[in-house]
Amino acid sequence: MNRRDFLITGAALSAATLLPGSLFAETTKRKNLKRFPRQLKPEIEGNVKVFRLFVDIHQQELAPGLKTHTLAFNNQVPGPEIRVNRGDRVKVYFKNRTELNHTIHWHGMHVPWRMDGVPYITQMPVMPGQEFVYEFTAEPYGTHFYHCHWGTLLHMQAGMFGSLIVEEPDDPIKKLFPYEREYTLLYSAHDLNFLRNEINAMLERMKERLYLVKNGRFDKERFAVFDSKEELEEAVRNGYQPPYVVNRRAPADLAQPFWFTVNGKSYPSTPTLYIREGESIRVRLINSGTEEHYLHLHGHDFWLVCDDGIPVPQPWQMNTMRLSPGKTLDIIIEGKNRGIWTFHDHDTRRVTNNGLYPGGNLMALVYEDLPEEERRVMPMEGMNNLIPKVALDE
Amino acid sequence: MSKKRTSLCLLIILFTVMLCNTGSAGVTPEILLGARGISSLNLDYSPGGDSETVSDISDTSLLVGFRQKLYNRYRGALVIGFQFPDEGSDLEPILFHQVFLRVEDRTNIFRIGRTRVRSAMIEFPTLRDDDAIYFTDILNPFSSGEDAEDNQYGSIMEATRIFGQRYQLSAYGEHLKEETENISKDFGFNALGLSFQYRVPESQRWNREILNQIGISLNTALTSRPGYSGELDKALKSITFSTVLNIRPDPVHFWDLRHQSIFNLGFSEVKNLSDYSDITRARSISTFTSLRYLYRKLERPALQAALSYGYKAFPDLSNNSSQHQVIANSFYRIGENFDVGLQLRYQKNSGDLKTIIGEHETEVQFAFIYSIEQLWNSQFDDRESLLNLEHGYIP
Repeated sequence: MNRRDFLITGAALSAATLLPGSLFAETTKRKNLKRFPRQLKPEIEGNVKVFRLFVDIHQQELAPGLKTHTLAFNNQVPGPEIRVNRGDRVKVYFKNRTELNHTIHWHGMHVPWRMDGVPYITQMPVMPGQEFVYEFTAEPYGTHFYHCHWGTLLHMQAGMFGSLIVEEPDDPIKKLFPYEREYTLLYSAHDLNFLRNEINAMLERMKERLYLVKNGRFDKERFAVFDSKEELEEAVRNGYQPPYVVNRRAPADLAQPFWFTVNGKSYPSTPTLYIREGESIRVRLINSGTEEHYLHLHGHDFWLVCDDGIPVPQPWQMNTMRLSPGKTLDIIIEGKNRGIWTFHDHDTRRVTNNGLYPGGNLMALVYEDLPEEERRVMPMEGMNNLIPKVALDE
Repeated sequence: MSKKRTSLCLLIILFTVMLCNTGSAGVTPEILLGARGISSLNLDYSPGGDSETVSDISDTSLLVGFRQKLYNRYRGALVIGFQFPDEGSDLEPILFHQVFLRVEDRTNIFRIGRTRVRSAMIEFPTLRDDDAIYFTDILNPFSSGEDAEDNQYGSIMEATRIFGQRYQLSAYGEHLKEETENISKDFGFNALGLSFQYRVPESQRWNREILNQIGISLNTALTSRPGYSGELDKALKSITFSTVLNIRPDPVHFWDLRHQSIFNLGFSEVKNLSDYSDITRARSISTFTSLRYLYRKLERPALQAALSYGYKAFPDLSNNSSQHQVIANSFYRIGENFDVGLQLRYQKNSGDLKTIIGEHETEVQFAFIYSIEQLWNSQFDDRESLLNLEHGYIP
């Protein structure tokens, strides 16, 4: 096989992942359901909904052939979806099964400040083996999320995020745009080298620190944890060198993500949005990563109906939206133009896997009632002369 | 240094820098740069010895490594390194001590090339690697004894199988430097060996097990022993036993004990020591033991102190001969990667050894040591990372 033959074969194999024929199979649709966050069922204690979360180190396959270690809630990335009604009393038991510290921050929720999950400010970190109970009333309505707030840069892109949906029986969006189906999409971006190296380093440090803590030998300078800024300044005056000074720890490169995921998966493992002609679907978009995404839907305008969970005064029609880190947006897509349409980040660096297109957060909106004759959009079989002569990564 | 070698060294450095700064259309490898600089003031109080050496830079070395994933679960690596040999050595000013390729997966390691031979199973806390070479290494029976590096570096072909993360079985063939006799044609094997050891990976050092390492090895040097025809009879056989005990595995005040014994089965006809070759071939027992204390401040090594004792006896000689050595040293870290060190070394020789090596040596060394290790293009995990060891291996 010469180089040219090889490129042609490579192109054919890569393109095969794009062919839509299998999208309509029932098995594909059933498997697709698993590509959305699984709902966590509550236990009911009186008038309180009780949820149980744990975090552990887990292996996640981002795309076929690519596995990475993650920090995962209940062995899932993203973590399971917590869905409650507005005003519900909520109790979340959070068990730390790792050798690292963690907390949970309820992003967008109006919780009591002691429940906000910011280490050393609202609570002490949940240390290895410990359990912390978060209690709050579910307010306000809308699409929110939860994530770890310890070592946030690392722990969030390592997988510690999940959706938190606060519903209302008389949903204002449903009134405007009656819908039956809805989807939750959590976007993230990952520098796998940063993740791997930092988790290893933190695991190693924590083995050492835990030994000292267990022996009652907590040392403020060693742990770089002080009771006040004045105490830190005093320590520096006495010769203490904080970890961030260059002669103590070399500045680590900030994470440079090169894997982009939706619900913990990169294309071709990203979820598919199914719709029918005449149907409206609600899509809840959550940016739990560090990158901005400019999401564009082909062939349609959609309605932006909620921003940070809050219903906007006037739904806004558009076909591209900016999803900033920490932001949640809800959109309504109306099934008005049947076909198979891509839905992707228009900063196309993020539709790559490790720098190679296609990949990343590339997804599809699929009309499941598309007539049979329209489904085979690229009948390549037996037509080798039509195969592109360029490999997709060139 | 010859112009050719100088050019080669510069080329390696230039090549590395270029790779670090530019993108590549193909798979860019991981690039590892390791450097260690040792410069010492040596004060020699031995009878007839030099009074001082102003600047001893021996063992200063530079290593460049390249590594990438192969098409299956294996990884391939190339390591090239050079060092400055001992003062007074008859080697060239720069010695390429590491030039080898390695292919490995989770449980198998194959190495071919020039590197550290398997003459010792563990390392000891001495200023330089060869400070106790008579006690810590199986001596090269083909060497004239001029250069300590003859005992440490050679060509090697080695296969290692890892069981259950911590047990390693290695089989190896070596070509040791030949000066006193020409055994192998065309750079063939002149030494064979097997080793088996239990070893706690470095990343798990805070798991605080007492037993850190224990191992045994059998080494044979394929000599041309006069008067013997059978290969087994001609082979010079040594058995090595080693252990490292974490006697106080505390992250702040850490103590460990290292011990290695080498039983050289020797040749029965060697009854007197007249030169270095006899020392290598006489039946002998060598032991070396180090007690080390490490103080770690702010999760970094700050101070290390070690006391080591070596003893070597030659039981079959007509003239009772033995060696004793004491090494005391301390290293203080004055900055990340940068140490100052002070080492006292005393060695006493008796019997025939007095005429070959001298009756005793006393040396005081004051040194600066700077060691760095930098990885660029990190793209996969090490076999012995905590994630891979404790949370499932990812190829």
